[in-house]
Amino acid sequence: MAINGETHTPLRDLTEAQFQELYASDRFTAAVLSSRMRYIVKHMCTGLLNNAFSLILRDWYDFAATISGPPELDYPMSTVSDSLVLFIGTMAEAVRNSVTEFGVDELRPGDVIAVNDPYRTGNHVNDVCFIRPVFHDGRIIAFVTIRAHQLDMGGIVPAGFSGSKKNVYETGLSIPPMLLYRDDKPVKSTFNLIFDNARFCALLLPDIKSLYQSLLLGERLLLESVNRYGADALLGAIRYSCDVSADAMSEALRTKIPDGIYEAEESVDADGIDASREYRIKLRIAKHGENIECDLSGTSAQARSSINCGVLDVKTAIGVALKMLIEQETPYSSGSYRNIDVVIPPGTICSAVPPDGAIFLYWESSIPVLSAVYRALEKALGPDAVGGDYGSLMIHNANGVSEAGVPWVTAAQCGGEHGPWSGTKAGDGDSYTVFYLANNIDPATEAIESDIPAVVLRKEYALDTAGPGRHRGGAAVLKDTLWLRDAEHWTMPLHAKVSCGFGVYGGGDGTAQANWVFPPETYKVVAATGALPTDRSIYRESIPVGGMLDPETKTLDPKGEYFYFASTPTWRTTPNTMFRYQTAGGGGWGKPMERDPERVLRDVRDEYVSIEGARRDYGVAVVGDPVNDPEGLRIDQEATRRLRGAGG
Amino acid sequence: MAQKYQIVPGLSVEREPVTEPELQAAGVNLARDFPGASLSEFRRYPVLSEGGWFMVIKHQPTLKSVSRVKWRLLGPVPLATEGLSLD
Repeated sequence: MAINGETHTPLRDLTEAQFQELYASDRFTAAVLSSRMRYIVKHMCTGLLNNAFSLILRDWYDFAATISGPPELDYPMSTVSDSLVLFIGTMAEAVRNSVTEFGVDELRPGDVIAVNDPYRTGNHVNDVCFIRPVFHDGRIIAFVTIRAHQLDMGGIVPAGFSGSKKNVYETGLSIPPMLLYRDDKPVKSTFNLIFDNARFCALLLPDIKSLYQSLLLGERLLLESVNRYGADALLGAIRYSCDVSADAMSEALRTKIPDGIYEAEESVDADGIDASREYRIKLRIAKHGENIECDLSGTSAQARSSINCGVLDVKTAIGVALKMLIEQETPYSSGSYRNIDVVIPPGTICSAVPPDGAIFLYWESSIPVLSAVYRALEKALGPDAVGGDYGSLMIHNANGVSEAGVPWVTAAQCGGEHGPWSGTKAGDGDSYTVFYLANNIDPATEAIESDIPAVVLRKEYALDTAGPGRHRGGAAVLKDTLWLRDAEHWTMPLHAKVSCGFGVYGGGDGTAQANWVFPPETYKVVAATGALPTDRSIYRESIPVGGMLDPETKTLDPKGEYFYFASTPTWRTTPNTMFRYQTAGGGGWGKPMERDPERVLRDVRDEYVSIEGARRDYGVAVVGDPVNDPEGLRIDQEATRRLRGAGG
Repeated sequence: MAQKYQIVPGLSVEREPVTEPELQAAGVNLARDFPGASLSEFRRYPVLSEGGWFMVIKHQPTLKSVSRVKWRLLGPVPLATEGLSLD
């Protein structure tokens, strides 16, 4: 086996003596310590999840924990939590870059470094890294790190989620590596810096105290293992964990992707300035033997507003895409990248540079990188190919003041943040989950309605939106939220021109995303006997926010007019205004005409597919009334034979 | 309805040619290590990988790195404070 040109003996071929020499323990101990480190990051996360106050941590699980090795090993990140994937991919570099800049020799027991600069550490300014050096016998043997989204980090938009911010001065407070704790005591000047710039500090302070306790827990558990097995065994296990990932990725690259060149292109509709510019993300994959190179040359220059991402987000997207497509057997670690080289010029929408390359909605430009990997490798993977998910969060950010005069804020609760995945060879795509680059939880409706003056009136699947296929994609999610008080909103559908949910292996695409506002004068939800209907006629009353829509009916139309999401940069609404979001549908897998007609019938009964859709997309003639007599539906076998014969 | 927008032009990474002495300095003997290969098949450019940024010299057809040297900590990304000197 060759790793970056160097001959390397696979782990499984090592003798016991060789293994002992390499990792300072036997195989069993190395495996136990690797599992122990996964246990530690899980417990760090559980502690924070149970004790967090802000909605974004408590209800979204918007954080992650990792363990990295010491400087002399070059900070290998052996262990990651099973939470936000976009975080864990950046944290190896975040630790190395921050500790190197701060100065290894400046660290001492009881320190915690805080850092959030996206250009140093990836993600955006609200995602603050808290890095704790773990000392043993006077030397650093590891770092335990938590990256956790802070509800606010200053900037011109409360909670921050906006694609219209023009530079780093508008995105929020940028923190270089700074001491947050020294000798296990808070560094007041750093807390002052944060809290003099951020809003909602009454929530931030207990959250930071909680995650500090989780860092202490991680440190304590790690040192327990050191005391039991020895520091050398732990350091060996850190290297072993990375080597396991590297070996597995190397073998997957060698055996699952034929040598060759693979290319794909994705897009972002527009930035937050105006609709005059569209952005392209280009990917060229070169694969030979065990090595792969992913080159983003040709990608559009950075956007004029905060829809960019950074290079570390791109690295994450590429590594995660390859893990999900070809190597699901071993845990993710920094070693997963040993045979992956990312080539990317500075100053693109995927490699923004300060001060004008503002980064905030970084997932909107890094998810397309993952999609480009999926799309580029579709033909090479054959039945193992995976299509697009809903691919864009259409994140909704709003704030106002309660009746009692207390400011409130919502972030990522009431937009299109959750949606469907693609179908795969294993089955239909799930319809309600988080995007491929995340792994979070869905805020409970009860929690949303108790925190903010809003009522979530609808969360359901939309008819005929899933990409058709032998295994269809998940259905688009339709979400209605009624806002009870004056509020200002930012809403960001950045992928409405073309559906993110592309199909593979003969499967069809899901429908594209869109969203609408229904002012109170157009539909009086409070006086009505039911929620806002979903039939096509209701959209005439709406004000479109974003989407490809028929300009008269304002319903989804791929050949219609593009409604630009930031034509109204900030929506200032009166009480009883409704926002409706419809995510993209997930891509289908396999030819729709090969889908078992009984499964199509079930989809009609469950209102994933209409009778017309069953006929049009699947060649299956279903007769009956799915709304009033769903169990009475049946297949017209003769008509289906004719349809499928004609179609096939 | 016609939409009026422009596609923002792309940027690229330049893959620099390398000289024979540079290849030799990397320990490469073309005839021995890459029989049939030519000097023009080797290029130097930065990559982001395990361990951060590296300046590599690679044989393009096989993607073999003949040189991988640690590069700047943040690669080609400048900070807003780039060049700040407090001395």
